[in-house]
Amino acid sequence: MTIRFHRLSQSREDRAGMSRRMFLMTTTLAGITTGTLLGRASLAQGAGLGEAESARLLRMVQDIYPHPDLLQIAHYQAIVDAVVSNADDDAFAALQDGLARIEAKAQELFGVPYTDIEDPDAREGLLRHFQNEGFFQNVRWTAYFGIYNNKEIWPLFGYEGSSVEYGGYINRGFSDITFVPPGPTLEERLAEVQK
Amino acid sequence: MAKFDLNDDSVAVIIGSGAGGGTLANELAQRGIKSVVLEAGKRFGLEDIENDEWAMFQKISWLDKRYSGGGWHGAVNHPTLPTWIVKGYGGSTIHWAGVALRFKDFEFKTRTTYGAIDGANVEDWPIDLEEMIPWYEKAELKMGVTGKTTGMPHLPWNNGFRVLAEGCRRTGRSDYRSGPMAINSVERDGRPACQQIGFCMQGCAIGAKWSTMYTELPRAEETGNCEVRTEAMVLKVEHDDAGKVNAVVYADKDGNQHRQKARIVCVAGNSIESPRLLLNSASSMFPDGLANSSGQVGKNYMNHTTGGVYAVMPEKVHMYRGTSVAGIVGDEVYHDPKRGFSGGYYLEFLSLGLPFMAAFLEPGNTGWGRSVARALEGYDRMSGVWVLGEDLAQERNAITLHPTEKDQYGLPVPIVSKTPHNNDYEMTAHMYETSAEIYEAVGATDVYELPAYPATHNMGTNRMHADPDKGVVNAYGQAHDIANLFVSDGSQFTSSAACNPTLTIVALAIRQAEYIAQEMNARNI
Ligand SMILES: Cc1cc2nc3c(=O)[nH]c(=O)nc-3n(C[C@H](O)[C@H](O)[C@H](O)COP(=O)(O)OP(=O)(O)OC[C@H]3O[C@@H](n4cnc5c(N)ncnc54)[C@H](O)[C@@H]3O)c2cc1C
Ligand code: SF4
Repeated sequence: MTIRFHRLSQSREDRAGMSRRMFLMTTTLAGITTGTLLGRASLAQGAGLGEAESARLLRMVQDIYPHPDLLQIAHYQAIVDAVVSNADDDAFAALQDGLARIEAKAQELFGVPYTDIEDPDAREGLLRHFQNEGFFQNVRWTAYFGIYNNKEIWPLFGYEGSSVEYGGYINRGFSDITFVPPGPTLEERLAEVQK
Repeated sequence: MAKFDLNDDSVAVIIGSGAGGGTLANELAQRGIKSVVLEAGKRFGLEDIENDEWAMFQKISWLDKRYSGGGWHGAVNHPTLPTWIVKGYGGSTIHWAGVALRFKDFEFKTRTTYGAIDGANVEDWPIDLEEMIPWYEKAELKMGVTGKTTGMPHLPWNNGFRVLAEGCRRTGRSDYRSGPMAINSVERDGRPACQQIGFCMQGCAIGAKWSTMYTELPRAEETGNCEVRTEAMVLKVEHDDAGKVNAVVYADKDGNQHRQKARIVCVAGNSIESPRLLLNSASSMFPDGLANSSGQVGKNYMNHTTGGVYAVMPEKVHMYRGTSVAGIVGDEVYHDPKRGFSGGYYLEFLSLGLPFMAAFLEPGNTGWGRSVARALEGYDRMSGVWVLGEDLAQERNAITLHPTEKDQYGLPVPIVSKTPHNNDYEMTAHMYETSAEIYEAVGATDVYELPAYPATHNMGTNRMHADPDKGVVNAYGQAHDIANLFVSDGSQFTSSAACNPTLTIVALAIRQAEYIAQEMNARNI
């Protein structure tokens, strides 16, 4: 199968969501790091959300970046804690409101609680209704940093990260695959640049 | 390092310490010409380099307020990050990947080759390849570019490039190699050979890759002819009653303003800040901004027609191991209108770390969910390319000043507008098709197409033209309107060509230094 992501056309909804997104991308790119996110989270331990809300948020972060065979619930729980402990009063209110509306939409569309919807595509489809909203992108970017910028998780994706302290990859497999031919030898590379 | 007085009006003031400014400073210093380099960013050294994508982004990027405009996807998805540029001692040569390609013959003569194109503002350069060859050679020797000029072999092939190269071989291509790169493949010029660390675009921790941070700038300072002041943001270029520039006003790290007098001023702040500064320097004599009688300052913004392609292979690749841009495919760099577009394009192998892959695979609000997560689970089996091709100059693609919003210095925030031309859409479709064909030939199971990243190559906003009505500077980067004002960075480019710009920026800076020396000796400036 070939999946292709094509150029996104600019919908009306996208434009409306823009100023919020500017803020979000700025905070993102200005560098909220997982270190600080998860660091503060461990102090707060998800305090503030009710049990049902916490369960919804946990389901939500799993649906945003689902890696059921790769990640443990604890990885996702750490993101939930980070979302909560990072939220100021406004963000917390927006989060609670958003979770409530996700729940209402689940009831409206499927007649069951969000966390009881079994089909992952249906859950994703439900969340797509909310993707241009600030609370959603806040959760999404926290999940992004908590998973893909998390040094403890990198090995699970086969990413090794910093290499300078090990002398680079020059003696550690930078050219070790066997399913395609090797590159030219030093002699061949030298011959290529003779005048 | 020398120290010059603010009232010393014999110095050349150079604004920016990147590829253009850093090179010019050293070339002038070696000729005994005194200069003050004003650099907005901090002084960085090798000890500041980390193998961490976001940490380095945060540490050295230009993050002053900017807006994306126009019809490209970034106006929505990267609204405050139109470009990825460095603010620091060494400029974007800290981040750059090291690809050091020359323009092709026809790429200096785009108007003649392509003809007039609707909606575009295509022109010929006032110089040609033949004239540039000796300067390219000087630049290659200076930067240590692998290939015939230096005799340094190209780099060894890493996993990711080997996959791409095999696809090229199987699809009958012939022009794919691991150079020319401004990265030492052997010890040279006091810098070590590449250790295949990866993270070239986070800065080379051992200095195997050329950067003005540890070559041109310290060498210029060592001569005693050059003073580099960091955390010095130039706000305005001033002129005398005769219309010659004579000083610049800059803010230091505490926001205090100073006025440095100057014999000549050379602007090298990269293609957003350089035109912005000229526009912000408007006066009663030059109401539309300095050097802007043509009306072309800030116009014709080009950043290459680009996209990314990542293919998932049946086996592990670990593409992040080794040089980030480990190889270049040049077979598509020719002009043939039958392809449905003007100009050509390169495919350059490019590894991204997991963090950047996850951010740029599908940028914007939609980039989450099962398809994205599934794709990322194939990360360690990916190989991919950055495709880049000729971006036609258009007047509407421009740097403009925000009518109301100001930055931390009280200067109007720049808006960087880019709307692709039909030529770009045709070319991008071709690029994606070619890349997929190559990777499918080696058994790719999925191919992902990524839209353009925030622009790393920025060009054209103070362009060269033989005719003062059509361009801002002459063939030496000297302003048509003001003889002692120079543009010394990529904003001089008349056309973008398909290739990465830095070798040409450096070659032009070396050439400009010789011209400045000659004109100073002749007392013309
Ligand atoms: C990730 C990345 C990879 C790249 N890879 C390649 C590659 O492989 N090959 C290639 O050819 N090119 C590459 N490039 C592009 C290359 O870095 C640039 O083309 C080149 O550095 C531009 O040179 P410049 O002198 O115009 O500007 P820069 O090198 O950006 O330097 C401009 C400097 O001016 C300073 N400045 C700006 N305004 C002011 C002001 N008002 N006052 C004082 N200082 C100011 C800035 O802080 C900055 O340090 C890459 C760029 C990036 C970001
Ligand atoms: S791969 Fe080579 S050039 Fe790139 S950062 Fe490492 S040592 Fe430097």
